[in-house]
Amino acid sequence: MTKTKVNKSIAEINDRIKRGDAVVVTAEEMVEIVRERGEVEAAKEVDVVTTGTFGAMCSSGAWLNFGHADPPIKMQRVWLNDVEAYTGVAAVDVYIGATQLSETRGFEYGGGHVIEDLVRGKEIEVRAIAYGTDCYPRKELEISVTKDDLNQAVLSNPRNAYQRYVAATNSRDETIYTYMGTLLPNYGNVTYSGSGALSPLHNDPNYETIGVGTRIFLGGAQGYIFWEGTQHAPTKAMGTIMTIGNLKEMDARYIRGATIEKYGTSLYVGLGIPIPIINERVAKTTGISDEDIMTNLTDYGVPRRERPILKEVTYAELKSGEVEVEGKEVPVSPLSSLKQAREIAGILKKWIEDKKFFLAQTVEGLSTDQVFKPIKHITAAPVAKDLMTREVVTAKPSDSITSAAKIFAKRNFDHLPIVDEKGKLVGIVTSWDIAVAVGTGKRKLSEILTPKAIVASENEPIDAIARKLETHRISGVPVVGTKGELRGILTSEDLSKLIGRRRK
Amino acid sequence: MTKKVLLRYSAEKVKEPILASIIKETDTLLNILHAEFSAEGGEILLAIDAPDAEVNRVIKLFEQKGIETKELKRAIQLDEEKCFDCGACISLCPTGALRLTDDYSIELDEDKCIYCEICVPSCPVRALKVSKF
Repeated sequence: MTKTKVNKSIAEINDRIKRGDAVVVTAEEMVEIVRERGEVEAAKEVDVVTTGTFGAMCSSGAWLNFGHADPPIKMQRVWLNDVEAYTGVAAVDVYIGATQLSETRGFEYGGGHVIEDLVRGKEIEVRAIAYGTDCYPRKELEISVTKDDLNQAVLSNPRNAYQRYVAATNSRDETIYTYMGTLLPNYGNVTYSGSGALSPLHNDPNYETIGVGTRIFLGGAQGYIFWEGTQHAPTKAMGTIMTIGNLKEMDARYIRGATIEKYGTSLYVGLGIPIPIINERVAKTTGISDEDIMTNLTDYGVPRRERPILKEVTYAELKSGEVEVEGKEVPVSPLSSLKQAREIAGILKKWIEDKKFFLAQTVEGLSTDQVFKPIKHITAAPVAKDLMTREVVTAKPSDSITSAAKIFAKRNFDHLPIVDEKGKLVGIVTSWDIAVAVGTGKRKLSEILTPKAIVASENEPIDAIARKLETHRISGVPVVGTKGELRGILTSEDLSKLIGRRRK
Repeated sequence: MTKKVLLRYSAEKVKEPILASIIKETDTLLNILHAEFSAEGGEILLAIDAPDAEVNRVIKLFEQKGIETKELKRAIQLDEEKCFDCGACISLCPTGALRLTDDYSIELDEDKCIYCEICVPSCPVRALKVSKF
């Protein structure tokens, strides 16, 4: 690293905090200071910049220790308010994860809600079973506890505070429900997450000051960074951190259980990192504004690992409430609370000014070149064209019901795609439609065909098609090319054959 | 204040231009927030921005013409204790009844709400409720 004009140590800054003359500003305030005075002057003047974010962080959970019963139990499976916790550790230690669902209430209540209820001091019903051993003979236990009854309740999150995240929209002609919230059809809305200029990791993207041991604001208490987060991808400006803190000291205003519609449960975590301004390089990175932070507007309508990117947008555009997608202005939802992100940066600032919070010297840096790899795939997942029937019997809209009925009688199938002269799919008729048509005296296929048939594309993964069949309660889909021309048909029978093949 | 009146039409009444005739007769501006009709009749949700006496006159006229009326009161509620201003709801709201203010707080303008209820399940902490009277 090149030499810098301003050089301050953490100890010096802590001394100023102790004396009450440290200059602390929030990351939003720092944008103006750097813009007006430049990074060198800003570095001389400012000692600490506080950041904040309050978003859904699914990779969160808590370690709990219950203490021993008499006779003792080695908890094999444990439920907290009917939400199962992980017990593959010692006898009375469990890990309750944010996204685990209640076995009785489903999406309405999950691990995130258990954690919030613990923070609120509410009673939690604990149910445990065990196989029994010579040293741990008890096989069942039912008790109710609050956080005060536990030896430890430690929030311990494998991945928090994504530096930034992609923005989401949906190209499909149906509403979809994703971890990025409800996405309306035909690019009807956009959602995003992250606090932009206030984003903790975006204020020190080179990890000059953030590392193992950094003391942070976590859920309303003082917590720590203890490693890089899972999927940490600093070279892509998608860094993450692992965090830890005492759940018993936290405030439920900053730890909230949440339900993401038709997706699952999560935990909203309030997190803020103080950035010590040790030199002008760090001053410069804390001067980053919403205009400087770009992210990809991504099509969640395509359920693949590599989702299509529509364009780049800045956090300034996203925060304005509207972005342009395919020529129209589309409303935007931030999924993380910008109001509470700002509040957290403000509280952290106040803590430091009130000498209640001191900066920690890191004991180890975080990786700056770690790459986030995809899963190791053994075989490529099959797509529609691998399994579809290519020789499809079709009919024209002008054909009679009687002729179609004959086709169904002769061949053993349930779906008759209807195509125009150019081979373009115009609809579908099922054997059931024919039965109804005969009963109601209809004559032509054009009178009974379903015009907006659910279709698949040739390269669509089988798993996505299986989900389509399930959600629309249909037993087959025509497979079409890019111009809507019929290429084949894929039925639930074809999918069953695949499972047979997999088992061989 | 804007009042919201729900009109229930029986199948026979659907054929008559009742709404148009009442607008003509009273000269009151009636805004249709939502309308739904089927073979069994239908419903229209009106927003009437007029003095109370005027609103009552409109309601009376509808009833005289055989339309069942019901004034809807405070039907959507935002629990400000629960809401943490994440904004998941705002891009789903078709009328802009839910919006973010300059300081990123969620604001609900009940006059604009058409009770479509899209926002209700989108709230991660169940802070939005529609109650029917």
